Amino acid sequence: MKLTVKLLSLACLVFTIGACTDLEEQLNDSFNEDFTPANTQGATNVTRSTPNDGLEAAFARLRNGAAGHNNYFSMQEVTTDEAVITQKGGDWFDGGIWLDAHRHEWNSTHPALNGMWGDAYGAIGEANRLIADNAGNAAAVAQLRVMRAYVYWRLMDSFGRVKVVTVLGQDAPQQDRVDTFNFIEAELLAAIPDLADARAEYGRVSALSAQAFLARLYLNADHYTGTPRWQDAIDAADAVINSGVYSLSPDFSAIFAPDNIDNVEQIWTIPYDESTAGGMNFAQMTLHYPSQLTYSLQDQPWNGYSSLEAFYNSFDNADGRKAASFIAGPQNDINGNPILDLAFDPADADGAAINYTPAINELAPSGSRQAGVRMGKYGFKLRQRPDMDNDYVIFRYAEVLMNKAEATARLNNNWSDGVSLALVNQVRDRAGASQFTTMTEQDFLAERGREFFQESLRRSDLIRFGAWGNAWWEKSAHSDVNLDIFPIPNDQILAAADTQNPLTQNPGYN
Amino acid sequence: MKKFLLILLVLAVGFQGALLAQTRTVTGTVTGGDDGLGIPRANILVKGTTRGTNTNLDGQFSIEVTADETLVFSFVGYVTQEVAVGNQTTINIVLQPDYAELGEVVVVGYGSQEKKEITSSVVAVDAKDFNQGNVNDAAGLLQGKVPGLQVFNKGGNPNNSGSFRLRGISSVGSNAQPLVVIDGVIGASLDNVDPNDIESINVLKDGSAAAIYGSRGSAGVILVTTKQGTRGGSSLQADYNGFVSAATVRQFQPVMDAATYVANGGNDLGSVTDWQDEITRTAISNVHNISVSGSSENTTFRVSTNFRNIQGILDKSGFDQINARANLNHFAVNDKLNISFNMALSQRNQNFSFNEAFRYASLFNPTAPIRNPNGSFFQAILFDNFNPVAILNQNINQGERQTLNFNTQLSYEFFPGFRVTANYAQQFGSQIQGRYFSRESLYVGLGRNGLAARQADENRFTLFETFASWDKELNNANLTLTAGYSWQESQNTGFGMEAGNFPTDDLGFNIIGASGNVLGRQGEVNIYSYETPEDRIIAGFLRFNLTIGNGIFVNGGVRREGSTRLGVDNQWGTFPFVGAGVDILEYADIAAFDVLKFRAGYGVTGSLPGASGQAQDLFAYNRDDSAAGGNVSRVRGGNPDLKWEEKAEINLGLDFGLLGSKLTGTLDVYSRDVNDFILNRQVDPAIFGFSNRFENAGKIQDRGIELALTYNNLLSGDLKWTPGIIASSNKTTLEEYIIDETSFANLGSPGQNGTNMIRVAVGEEIGQIWGPQFVGVSDTGEPIFADLNGDGTVNADPASILNDDSDSQQLGTGIPTVNIGWTNQLSYGNWDLNLFFRASLGHSLVNTFRAFYEPLDPGAINSFNRTVTDLSLTDLTVAQFSSYYVEKADFIRLDNATIGYNFDMSGNDFIRNIRVYGTVQDAFVLTNYQGVDPDPVGDDGGNVLAPGIDRRNNYFDDRTYTFGLTIGF
Repeated sequence: MKLTVKLLSLACLVFTIGACTDLEEQLNDSFNEDFTPANTQGATNVTRSTPNDGLEAAFARLRNGAAGHNNYFSMQEVTTDEAVITQKGGDWFDGGIWLDAHRHEWNSTHPALNGMWGDAYGAIGEANRLIADNAGNAAAVAQLRVMRAYVYWRLMDSFGRVKVVTVLGQDAPQQDRVDTFNFIEAELLAAIPDLADARAEYGRVSALSAQAFLARLYLNADHYTGTPRWQDAIDAADAVINSGVYSLSPDFSAIFAPDNIDNVEQIWTIPYDESTAGGMNFAQMTLHYPSQLTYSLQDQPWNGYSSLEAFYNSFDNADGRKAASFIAGPQNDINGNPILDLAFDPADADGAAINYTPAINELAPSGSRQAGVRMGKYGFKLRQRPDMDNDYVIFRYAEVLMNKAEATARLNNNWSDGVSLALVNQVRDRAGASQFTTMTEQDFLAERGREFFQESLRRSDLIRFGAWGNAWWEKSAHSDVNLDIFPIPNDQILAAADTQNPLTQNPGYN
Repeated sequence: MKKFLLILLVLAVGFQGALLAQTRTVTGTVTGGDDGLGIPRANILVKGTTRGTNTNLDGQFSIEVTADETLVFSFVGYVTQEVAVGNQTTINIVLQPDYAELGEVVVVGYGSQEKKEITSSVVAVDAKDFNQGNVNDAAGLLQGKVPGLQVFNKGGNPNNSGSFRLRGISSVGSNAQPLVVIDGVIGASLDNVDPNDIESINVLKDGSAAAIYGSRGSAGVILVTTKQGTRGGSSLQADYNGFVSAATVRQFQPVMDAATYVANGGNDLGSVTDWQDEITRTAISNVHNISVSGSSENTTFRVSTNFRNIQGILDKSGFDQINARANLNHFAVNDKLNISFNMALSQRNQNFSFNEAFRYASLFNPTAPIRNPNGSFFQAILFDNFNPVAILNQNINQGERQTLNFNTQLSYEFFPGFRVTANYAQQFGSQIQGRYFSRESLYVGLGRNGLAARQADENRFTLFETFASWDKELNNANLTLTAGYSWQESQNTGFGMEAGNFPTDDLGFNIIGASGNVLGRQGEVNIYSYETPEDRIIAGFLRFNLTIGNGIFVNGGVRREGSTRLGVDNQWGTFPFVGAGVDILEYADIAAFDVLKFRAGYGVTGSLPGASGQAQDLFAYNRDDSAAGGNVSRVRGGNPDLKWEEKAEINLGLDFGLLGSKLTGTLDVYSRDVNDFILNRQVDPAIFGFSNRFENAGKIQDRGIELALTYNNLLSGDLKWTPGIIASSNKTTLEEYIIDETSFANLGSPGQNGTNMIRVAVGEEIGQIWGPQFVGVSDTGEPIFADLNGDGTVNADPASILNDDSDSQQLGTGIPTVNIGWTNQLSYGNWDLNLFFRASLGHSLVNTFRAFYEPLDPGAINSFNRTVTDLSLTDLTVAQFSSYYVEKADFIRLDNATIGYNFDMSGNDFIRNIRVYGTVQDAFVLTNYQGVDPDPVGDDGGNVLAPGIDRRNNYFDDRTYTFGLTIGF
């Protein structure tokens, strides 16, 4: 046997020259550790400029679900009185998840909730990694802390009790909402001194972005913690307003247009790009299939989302935001000929010609295929791909004005407070709407609806105004405060079950 | 030919020298002891020489010998006999049948054993037992022939090879396909072996047999032996094999015809079109195989060439292939040195066509015309529904594939009983694909003004193995030791490009360079290049085989194996195996039995994750919108603790022969634990930054029983009938899992996302189709579901099927209770008839066509044509998944019926034999299943935990008629 062993070893050595027990796994087309990319020479056709500092790896994660289907955007919109996905016969039933969302009957297996949770922690993981990598760079770390705080705000606002992890690879116990609120506030306050009081670089944050964020956080503090912070909200809003850096865009639709880069009103945006930064799919999500011909879209749309009749009718015809927000009425192709749905419902009075009517026959099971006005605030461009070029606005100047107006009214317990009225009228004036001389709480909530349609703010607005349980079209009233937050996704509870810090479900859910 | 034979004869005379001086001719007949008929093609060899001959079709032979020589008569399935020539001039031999074929040599890992020594579950299938007809891959040869081996190949797509599954689910997240070994080359591609060149296939089913191959054998091993030249056989022979076949659609998807469609509220567009008929055809295929084999004293060779021109029933689909194979064996230094060289090359031009056309043909409005009056294709903008004829005619989907492999094996006997073998093999595959979607194609292409894609992929596999074996006769025992080393490396690399916006459709995908899209702008040019991580397996192994007396067989050993795919601290694993067998009749006389052997084996093998690189983090560079470049992001959280998935299997078996060995059979039972199975599972993203990573996540257990029975020649007289039956049953239980229960297999779009149809739970069987119980239709056309838990409310919410208050239950199982193959070999004179029936019982399928398109939703009738079956309820208008769409899919089918005739060529010097045959594949299927094919579905897009979902874009099933001709020269 010794001979055998010798022969075998010899053969092995001769053949593989020392590699005969080498099991190091070399990754041939990618890297297994972080590296510093060399600058490439000026890229062609740069349409905007995000800083080349490596932090985009974290900021880019904000795109996930912010303007696409079955994730954060969907759960902030379809659960409210401004957007709906009707079941169109065999289409869009999807196990009832969108009907559940509309009727406030969601449960912990809703896939959009699981996606929201997973994407949020993916973004946090990337931020944590870069915070560690950039330890010596205070400005970079501060930007990342604001970005991470924003993701935690999304989590805390939607799910209440979450894990707050600040080092990649570490775990933390699920904590109460008030603790996460305090964490976010502390992070923002700590980051502000390291950031400039100026307009942020594109897609990034400055001290003023953090102040705008604080204004929103304090405005909702009463709901999150039970302790109102109206004056703090006003102070944060004032920090933005008094800086003089931002102003209302004279053209409302320009804020959201395909080329909405660096609009004067934008405080913090999530840049999307049809080629390098996909994920905004509004045209696909909302348009009926033949509307492909109206915009010469490269792919067929999905005919899912529309707005509700009552919400659409809350806009005056004179209000410029109405035409800027919706696609309504008969639809033509690019040459001006009516577009047809050859599969039209024979019961539909419009026949084959497509007419986006505000009224919808029913939520389910046979919602008309062409009923409902469509979401058009983020304008489409001709021949666009499923991934749109528009950038999604998460903080803008009008919201800061409206936040200050609301905090002032609430602080003074007077919705017709002069300061508040003036701020609201600034916003209405830009839209071409008439001036308010007096205002009620309901007027203000409706005004926010008109201004911030399709901006993922309606859910938290309705909750803050106590209108979350109201009845609206095809949705009955309820008074269940447990519905103010979503359930912890069932899959996440299962995934964390074997960790040091298992997750427990929110009250009222199983 | 004659001249060639003459030259060989002269050469032979030269070699044999003086011995030939006193030769004379001996003639005779070889007959079988079972039926008394002549045995054609029996082998006759002069002992100790390489001279020999074969009998003719009547069993007659003639050979030149000297008086002191001995003739050896042999034939597969019969006991070999030796006869000293002496004074005889006529030698008539009766060969006794060896029903159990216990003398047969079976190829096992790194060596071969006599069948009687085998202690594990090994099934050998010879060429004569293969499925005949239009069979284009090795999987098709074996379907239904090996108990416990399932071949999944739904539909008649010629560009799809069947996939194997041995003994149920052997692995969850890693490769569940058995290892293929071709002529000793592990991991070789079955794509490069023409079925005509296969001599035999051995299937190693249990762990103790497969363990010598280590991780790659953990799902079982399929050993393919190709035909070789026979040493000492007739010096040169040529064979021709060919057939022509015609395939038609066996079963169309049942949908409404134009009149029914209009009557049900569909818009009448004025035409009548049978879309399914329009996209399919009678597919004509031709196959020709020519092989030549021969030998000289020290060298044997065989070369073959195969031409395949195969059409699929889907218009335009099919391939053209040429395959060549050469096998060469040379013996030197008094047979101590053996050099063998095998090489094979395939070149295949493929037209994939577009399988989606099947689905659209079942959905498109039957009153729509194919073309508009102006000649353009009719189109309507509907969701996910396109004119299927337009798809096939406007677009191109083609590929070209080359596979080359060679191996060189050197083996040297250093001293009697001790032999060292070294084997070096490489396999290269390359594939170039091209797709073009025309400027007019609404399906894809219109929005892009034409879209072209090209991609090239290459793979390479290198194997070096060396092993030594040592045979030692001991006192009343025989010991064989084998030790070896194995080094395997694979690599995949490729690149591709996709671009749109072209000035013309006329050049197809070759116009890609003329794209109007600009790199870096619009995102319309997609370019990629990849290379897989280094991927190596290194192993050393040791095995002993001990035979004690004539009746006790023991073997065992260990393999130490390492892989690059695992976490650095867990790369090496040790896998032992042991087996024992007893020929009981050697030690006890049991009157009823002629053969009785008991076997037991235990083996542990490891499995690897399905992809390499999973133990490591991955970072990628993303170009962003900054002027100068981009950023680096972490795109995968690796699992540095990833370790071997381990499979431990116990196999108990019994081989028996009764009634004078006319009834023979094999019974095996097994139990297999798959520990630490590897799964890409959902993890807590708060810790890892990612929602999924590969982990060792649980344990499954398989248990099964397999039976094979053959009754040799059931009738007496000229008509002979040999029926055989195999049956297997398998059960897989989830023993441990990270969570107690979960669900899989989303039904999908349109309208039924969030609808998981499969449940798995710890402690329960795999394969549960799960959902609400359908009881009827409401006045409004909605389905009514049963209140299963009796709480007074019906919760049929698809998203909450696992909740306590859900009214859901098991609706069926995706895994058959029993799979049966029933062979019948009949012969009468020169005629033979083979009838092969296949059945699976006890499984259900989710008929997804019905689940989406059967309810008569008045609002959506115009979006899709409707499926109509015996189960249709006209008043049901709302589609929601339930028991209503889960159908029992028990079936029995006449898989293969072949009738053949062998011409009597005994008086012909040139032609050894001529055989003509006709085959019908899939002649009929008896089933209540309403879909097109009741065969079980083993996985759902690769998820083996979710069997039983019959998805919508399966290629239709075909029925094939073949006429074939075989000539031996």
